[in-house]
Amino acid sequence: MNCREAVEHLYEYLDKELTPQVEREVRQHLEDCQPCLEQFDFEDAFLKFLQARCRGRCAPPELKRRILHELFGE
Amino acid sequence: MTEPTTPGTPTPVDDRRETFEREALVHLDTLYRVALRLTGNAADADDLVQETMLKAYRAWHQYQQGTNAKGWLLTILRHAFINEYRRRARHPETVDVDAIEPFAVFEDLQEEDPQGRFFDQIVDDEVLRAIDELPEQFREAIVLSDVEGMSYEEVARILSVPIGTVKSRLFRARRLLQAKLYDYAVGMGYIKGSRA
Repeated sequence: MNCREAVEHLYEYLDKELTPQVEREVRQHLEDCQPCLEQFDFEDAFLKFLQARCRGRCAPPELKRRILHELFGE
Repeated sequence: MTEPTTPGTPTPVDDRRETFEREALVHLDTLYRVALRLTGNAADADDLVQETMLKAYRAWHQYQQGTNAKGWLLTILRHAFINEYRRRARHPETVDVDAIEPFAVFEDLQEEDPQGRFFDQIVDDEVLRAIDELPEQFREAIVLSDVEGMSYEEVARILSVPIGTVKSRLFRARRLLQAKLYDYAVGMGYIKGSRA
């Protein structure tokens, strides 16, 4: 696998959406290619950052009360 | 038509309620986060989630227990949003998402900040604001995949598009979001950047 092919699979690799065979090929490429590894790490950091920044928000307790009341009359 | 029950014996209603609480209500936070990003404000998000839960409870007999309740609920939520909220959403869709040329932030920063440390300086509200500025098709792909961690297949099912479309939207959405955060970080002086 060359750099262009590896980068084409970048997000599928990070999202764990590749077949085991292709995933192995990408991983092998990354072991031998520092520039691609840096790019993958950068994108990985971005995705983790995104999730960490956005997962914190929870439904307000008042909304849950409203729904329970509406559904079950409590 | 109800059968006589002895006290303490679960009735069909109790059973329905119990399974709904166990399999549907546990996804309240997910529904709320997605609703918030779709509608853009807390009041509409509240109403959208409440309406979704009501519709889901009424249709609970159609849900196959043990299958993907989160996906099922999000599909209901999205349909409700499209039918009733999108008309008055803040961002009318005038953007041709396929014409958006993705900008690769990494290529610009591989000397200055190859590890993307600047991301850590960006506060939550700024990230959410940047997501809210994305075209709707990008926003929903990002929220379902990156925030809620759903698979391409699940996202494709919820959005009723092929998996290939999910991939290409996610690619463009992520690059566009990166570019927005990059511009913000340059503006704030977190990074120098070199994008003209």
